[in-house]
Amino acid sequence: MSTLQLTETHPALKAAAKTAKWAMLIVYFVIAVFPIVWLTVSAFKTNFEIETSPFSLPEVWQFQNFVNALSVSGLPQFFMNSIIVAVAATGINLLVTSLASFAVSREQFPGRKIFFTFTTAGVLIPIIAFMVPYYTLITQLRIYDTLLALVVTYSAINIPISMFLVSSFMATIPGELEDSAEIDGCSFFQRYAKIILPLARPGLVTAGTFSFIYCWNEFIYALLLTSSTSSRTVQLAIRFFTSQFRTDYA
Amino acid sequence: MSSLDRKTSRNMKWIILFLLPVTVLLISFFLYPIVFLVVLSFMEWNGIEPMSFVGMSNFSSLFSDSIFQTSIKNNLIWAFSAALLQIPLALLIALILAREPRGWKFFRTAFFLPNVISLVALAMMWRAMYNPEFGVVNVLLENIGLGHLARNWLGELDSALPAVIFSYQIYIGYFMVIILAGTISIPKSFYEAAMIDGANVLQQELYITLPVLRGIIVTAGTLAVAFALRQFETTFLMTAGGPANRTPVMGLYMYRRMAGLTYGRAAATGVLLILLGVFVLSGLQRIFGKSDAVGDSVQ
Repeated sequence: MSTLQLTETHPALKAAAKTAKWAMLIVYFVIAVFPIVWLTVSAFKTNFEIETSPFSLPEVWQFQNFVNALSVSGLPQFFMNSIIVAVAATGINLLVTSLASFAVSREQFPGRKIFFTFTTAGVLIPIIAFMVPYYTLITQLRIYDTLLALVVTYSAINIPISMFLVSSFMATIPGELEDSAEIDGCSFFQRYAKIILPLARPGLVTAGTFSFIYCWNEFIYALLLTSSTSSRTVQLAIRFFTSQFRTDYA
Repeated sequence: MSSLDRKTSRNMKWIILFLLPVTVLLISFFLYPIVFLVVLSFMEWNGIEPMSFVGMSNFSSLFSDSIFQTSIKNNLIWAFSAALLQIPLALLIALILAREPRGWKFFRTAFFLPNVISLVALAMMWRAMYNPEFGVVNVLLENIGLGHLARNWLGELDSALPAVIFSYQIYIGYFMVIILAGTISIPKSFYEAAMIDGANVLQQELYITLPVLRGIIVTAGTLAVAFALRQFETTFLMTAGGPANRTPVMGLYMYRRMAGLTYGRAAATGVLLILLGVFVLSGLQRIFGKSDAVGDSVQ
């Protein structure tokens, strides 16, 4: 344990422990974060500079790589595709899971617990194992190589995690609010739309963030379920760049 | 209770309506795929002609395929190194940061940063870093006088798998944040009491922090192992299974089987991947005790 430090009687040991602690932090910082800095700086260098002096700062900070990436490669369209897919899939995902979460966490009905277990158990399944079924399903639905294929798939894949986050958040909202709203004549749907949904915003934001990041970074099913450039996402596009176009896709 | 029952039956139509979309999506994208996968794993199918039942022959041919054996072995190596390197490193960093040294918030953000970047971008970046001609790794080794260690990292038989695994598992930010969140919930008074009793920092960590964090560490470990078993992108982009089929994992093997239009074997691989996951994860639970609910960690 590098935070090892003994009592005041051992000042030398204490100093050594402190040094070890900082050495640890700095070494890890260099290994984990330096490559990303290097990548970002390299994006401003010419290929010649990258190959001859990989560590130096660029002689001239030039934006040619970015210009190339944007104009030559069709990157704007891939960005657009990624944004459409991520926004639509996250939207659908939040809509359907908030409906189901409301029913599961705010209502009593037979089979409630089983339904919840069934929906959230999907977290444990390695989604990558579904390559063959998803491919055949999407082909049968005749939406292969469309953005819709990715939207539907991504919104479904994220259901288990979103159900867990949203319904456990909804369960913490006190029931008195709903009771009084019901006395005032609120219908089932109004209780969902006007009372619970606004109050569950933090839960929805968390689930939405997870979903969006997942959709933005997803690679396998984008690779498997699309083929033409018109439905290519950014993650697929990165793969087709060689080292000459380095852009930071954070 | 009777009023509750009445209320329930009145709302039942609404409840069914609200549950319907999720149910349809779950059946199409989780239940049907599992059933389909299991059925198909006993079939031979090229995607065009009708399927034909072949019994266990997909499984037996998988187990006699040396590339498949390598894939399972590699998946297990991935999982072991996640449990033995990635999690201890995450724990160590989290324990240091939990003591709030100067600039700990900066370090926390910096260490989490790579987790926001896609695996694809990170894999492409590391491929450039390992490049034998201008890669930073070799240049660095030469500059610090270890030039004899420089090599074609991804091209040589012995270094390819460790190089790929390292490039992925060095990013501990996700697990660090999970563990760090756990340490924050430990009351400071525990440590104050321990200090009055004369416990040094090492003893405090050993007898207070680690026991309290046990559940969270098991959760983080379970997630890390689960991620390692699902591995695909990093391997696919960095080596595509090469050199000489030293680095494939099961996901990649399945992808190749699909590309080769042997869907039955791809499905059998998928079934084995799920079973391996269940087996390894339940084994972990048995050895280390119950983890906190999986979802707790992501909140």
